[in-house]
Formats: sequence, C-alpha cells, structure tokens
Amino acid sequence: MTFNDFIANNFYQFWALTGFANCTWQHLVMLAVGLFFLWLAIKKNFEPMLLVPIGFGILIGNIPFDTTAGLEIGIYEEGSVLNILYNGVSAGWYPPLIFLGIGAMTDFSALIANPKLMLVGAAAQFGIFGAYMVALALGFAPDQAGAIAIIGGADGPTAIFLSSKLAPNLMGAIAVSAYSYMALVPLIQPPIMRLLTTKKERVIKMKPARAVSQNEKIIFPVVGLLLTCFVVPSGIPLLGMLFFGNLLRECGVTTRLAKTASNALTDIVTILLGMTVGASTQASEFLTLDTIFIFALGFMAFIIASASGVLFVKLFNLFLPTAKKLNPLIGNAGVSAVPMSARISNNLGLEYDPSNYLLMHAMGPNVSGVIGSAVAAGVLLGFLA
Amino acid sequence: MLVAVLMCGTVSMAQGRRGLRINEVMVQNDDNYVDDYGKHQAWIELYNSTFAPMDISSVYLTNDPAQPKKYPVPLGDVNTEIPPRQHVVFWADGEPNKGTFHLSFMLEPGKDNWIGIYDANGITLIDSITVPATLLPNTTYARILDGEGEGAQAWEVRDGSNEYYITPSSNNKIVDTNNKVEMFAEHDGNGVGMAIMAMLIVFSALLLLCLCFYAISKIGSKVSRSNKARSQGIEPKGLTKEERPDHDSGEEIAAIVMALHEHLNTHDTESTILTINKVRKSYSPWSSKIYGLRELPRR
Repeated sequence: MTFNDFIANNFYQFWALTGFANCTWQHLVMLAVGLFFLWLAIKKNFEPMLLVPIGFGILIGNIPFDTTAGLEIGIYEEGSVLNILYNGVSAGWYPPLIFLGIGAMTDFSALIANPKLMLVGAAAQFGIFGAYMVALALGFAPDQAGAIAIIGGADGPTAIFLSSKLAPNLMGAIAVSAYSYMALVPLIQPPIMRLLTTKKERVIKMKPARAVSQNEKIIFPVVGLLLTCFVVPSGIPLLGMLFFGNLLRECGVTTRLAKTASNALTDIVTILLGMTVGASTQASEFLTLDTIFIFALGFMAFIIASASGVLFVKLFNLFLPTAKKLNPLIGNAGVSAVPMSARISNNLGLEYDPSNYLLMHAMGPNVSGVIGSAVAAGVLLGFLA
Repeated sequence: MLVAVLMCGTVSMAQGRRGLRINEVMVQNDDNYVDDYGKHQAWIELYNSTFAPMDISSVYLTNDPAQPKKYPVPLGDVNTEIPPRQHVVFWADGEPNKGTFHLSFMLEPGKDNWIGIYDANGITLIDSITVPATLLPNTTYARILDGEGEGAQAWEVRDGSNEYYITPSSNNKIVDTNNKVEMFAEHDGNGVGMAIMAMLIVFSALLLLCLCFYAISKIGSKVSRSNKARSQGIEPKGLTKEERPDHDSGEEIAAIVMALHEHLNTHDTESTILTINKVRKSYSPWSSKIYGLRELPRR
C-alpha cells in the first residue's frame, strides 16, 4: 500500500463513520421533530423545562452513525455514556425521584380543605382505561395497551415508569407522546371544557376553601401513603416518594431536604430524564406504525380524561346543595399535568367572570389527579406485570 | 440504634435465606445429568425463590436430622450466590474435596431419603423433603412449581418424558408467556373488565382518603374549637353553632376590622420596641472567600 493509498483509505474509513454517510430519511424526520420541539419550547413557551431537554435529546439520539462500528456511543449500546444515563429511565428510577420533587413542591391544602375534590381526580383517570379499551381494539396486547393508556393520566414520570415495566420497547414513543400532550394541554382542554359546560355553569362561584392547619398538612402524606399503598402496593415507588417529598415539605424540620428535593434534585433528574427520553427516540426504534397509533391513542386518552373530569363534576353537582356546587371548569384539572391544567381552569373561569378565581379550587383535583394516576399505574402494574 | 440496625440486618438476612428451597432431587443417576468430572451422580437442586440474589455460603445441607451440620456450603466461592429465582445443583457423591458443589454425603436408592437445609446457626431448618424409596433410577422427585407449595402434594415424580421433563439447574415449569396478560387477553378482550375493576380501585383508594380527611378535619376543628373556647373561658359544651368562637371566618373578621378602621379611623398602637440581635456566624475556612477565590497576581 502506498502512502497515498493509506491516506485515502483512512479518509474513506473516516467518511464511513460520519453522520453524512449514515444518514437516512428517518434520521432527518426525527431531527426535524427534535427541532420542532425546540421551536415549540423556545418560541411558543410550551413546557420549555420538558421540551428543551426532550427536543435536544431527540437531536442527540438521532445523529446518524455507524452502529456496526462498536463505538459505544448509542443510547442502546451497553456501556455507552448515554446508556448509563438511560438506566434511570429503563430501570424506572428517575420517575420516583421526580415524584419526590413533585411532593416537595406541592401544597395539598386545597385538597385537604375540600376532600371531595379527590373524587374528581379519580374520575379523570377514566381517560386511561378508555384508551386501554381502544388500544386493545387496535390489536395491542393487554400489557402494551396498559402502558400506552397511561398517557391519559397526563403524568410523564408515571407513563415512563409504567411503560418501562410493561412495554419497554414502546417507552420512547409513550414518553414523548405523554410529554407532548402535556405541553399541548392549553390547546387540547379548553374546547372540551367549553363544549361540555353551559354558560351558567362556567360562572359558578365556589366557596373559598377553609384554612388548613399544619397538623393536617403533616398527617396528609402519612395517611395518604398508608391508605393508598395498602390498597395498591404496586404504587409504592411513585406514591411513596410523592408523599415522602410532601412530608419533607410540611413537617417543618427538614426545610433543607425539601428545598433540595424540589429544586436541585428535581432539576437534575428532569434534565437527565428529558434528555435521555429524547435520545431514546432513535429513528430505527421510533418511526413505526405503532408510534402513530400511540400518539393517536394518547391524544384520545387526554380528551377522554379531560371530558370525564368535567362530566363527573356536573354529575356530582346533581347531589350537592346550591351553595356548595362545584364549577365544572375545575374538572379538567383531574388529569394531573400540574399545575398547567389548574391554570387552564382558572383562565377559562376568568374569561367568563373576571372575579371568579378557580386556581386554588382546581389545584384540588389537580393534585388528586397525580395521586389517582399513580394509583392507576399501580393497578395496571399489579394486573399485568 | 446501631444494635437495632444490626438486628434488622440479621433478621432480613435470615428472611432472605428462608426463601431457599429444595427444588428437585435425583437419587440414582445412571445415564442422566453429568457432573463437572464427567460422572453420573445423585443430585439435589436448590432454588432461590426470592426476587433478590441470595448467598448460601455457610448454610448446611444434610441427609440426617440428627446431624444438621453435615455439609456446610463453603465460604468464599462467588458461585454460592444464587441469582433471583434461579437454581444451583449439588452433587450427592460423598466427595466434598471435588469442590463447593460436591456434598459430603450420598443418597441411598431404594430407601426414603430425607434431605434438609439448615441456616448458618445449624438450628433453623429452612426446608426439608423426604424423597420416597419408590423413586426409580433416572427419575427425579421435583416440585410442580419452582419453589412453591408445602408437603408431598407440591411434589411429583418426573421420568424424563415430554410431559414430566427433568430439569437440573433450570425451571421445573417452563413459562413462555405472562399468565396475567394471557388471562386478560382471553377473558377481557375489550378491556371493559379492566376498566371497571381499575376505576373501582382508583375510586375506592381516593374515596378512602377523602373520608379519612373528612374525619380528620372534623376532629381537628372540634379540638381547636374547644381549645379556643377554653382559652376564652367558655365551656365549649352546650354552645350553639352561632355562639361558637370559631364561627367567624377569616373574611368576616377582616371585614369587621376594616369597617371599624373606616368608622373610627383608629389603629391599635404597636409597641415600638426594636430588638437587634447580634447574629453570630462561626468562621470556617471551608466557606471563606479568601480560600475560595483565586488571587490575582501582584505586579
């Protein structure tokens, strides 16, 4: 081999390793999806904390490279850096850490002051099981259908946790779908809420919630954990961490821990979770007919969940005295998506009556939706794992 | 506290080893499974029925209840850690010098063979089985389901046929599908059953929480009401709802105060005492800026 041949050979080998040589139309599609997510997050301000890491993760995960070269760089290649970071998703330990942060951030006062709102959060979980039925009809196996249906819980960490257990092969699509729809809640929910409520119902003013004592706030996570986990032990990883985080916040003697859990820890895990979920959407795994079905089912699950929350409040109102009637606009908040869906209830309420602030009332079903979706995930895990 | 932690550790370790099971036994091996020396020997398969790895070093295997410490599983062999829900085979050849998995006793064909596993203390019996004397050569006495069941009804004789296969170091029951998923696919094809069951569970969990918090808030408000009444020198019993001291809501009190302020244009006089406490900060070089910042070079 001459020196020139040697140089040319090496250049040729280098070219074979580049993204240009390995690029397919699937990669380009996924890169476009990643850029679209970034645009949504940065320009439209749709859930930037989630969509920026996911969008950029999609770019990272879809840089074309020679998968046969054994470079240990792909997210699915054992031992690669991305694979190590992805372990938190595949083994399902990022979501409970996020739940710890959610617990440490969430004030459950609205729920404690008006415990009947918990039932609204339960009703909204029907979105999950409605989607489960449709997924079965589309030919998915029960465990896959369960993993897809959990998108209706509007809870990204729960969706990732459950899909990592029931259908790891669909996890990327499920996670991206769940987070996308959570970001699109401001577009999805208002038309449903308007459609299912009358003008008169939208201006119902709810009684201000009573003040909740510190003792009640401390008792809530302890009793909440014991009751829910005794009913659904398979929800322990999520519910345990959620209530633990909340106890750190409310007990008053672990302020430092609560601050770390709700700020630094949640931020770190959100970055890693979002980025690795995005990177897991490698074109070869992601661009399938199943993904399209998953997105369609996720959308439907969101609609059913929002609608069932609103309709349940209307049904509930039939049994309540006039003075205690609930505004059905808080029903949509039963899908977790904290606090976005509660903000939508508030904004829509203000649209019809500028003095009707529904935010605190909507926070009740909103946080009970978090508990409800974790319980629903526990039920699906218990039945199908 | 340390003692308590150590005790918990010991208990959990013991609990873990309690999951060790005798799973399958061959008493007379003429032409079946071959050991690592190429010989046909009687074998005993143990099964870790837990979902955690289990180190079985220092447990005892024996064929005589009067001598529970007949064969101690040696320490220091990494192979004595059984992965979750997995198996390990011991050769009952009476030649312990051949290695960790060769026992110091043999099984006797044509007789009832009692086999037991004792914990490291040599007293706690973890599991035992009596293999019947009627067991034929090259057949095994095996649990029907790996690690499950107690007594003779949980065991069966396996002759190596297609139906009763012999599975040393492998599952006695080969599972190729998820039973739960299969069951749902078969009996609940449209998902209605799942929807009903799951929604009932979700509702009952949250209803339970809801009822519990109604009760807690009632008790809490009752306690605070009576405390408040007592602090005002009123006997809480026999007061009507209107007379109760907590009847005024925060909004009402705020409205009364504002009305009084408007009407009387008064304000309560604050005690004008300023208290200045010196805040003491203990010095630590770890938080000192002098050490934390890079000094610029002097010219």
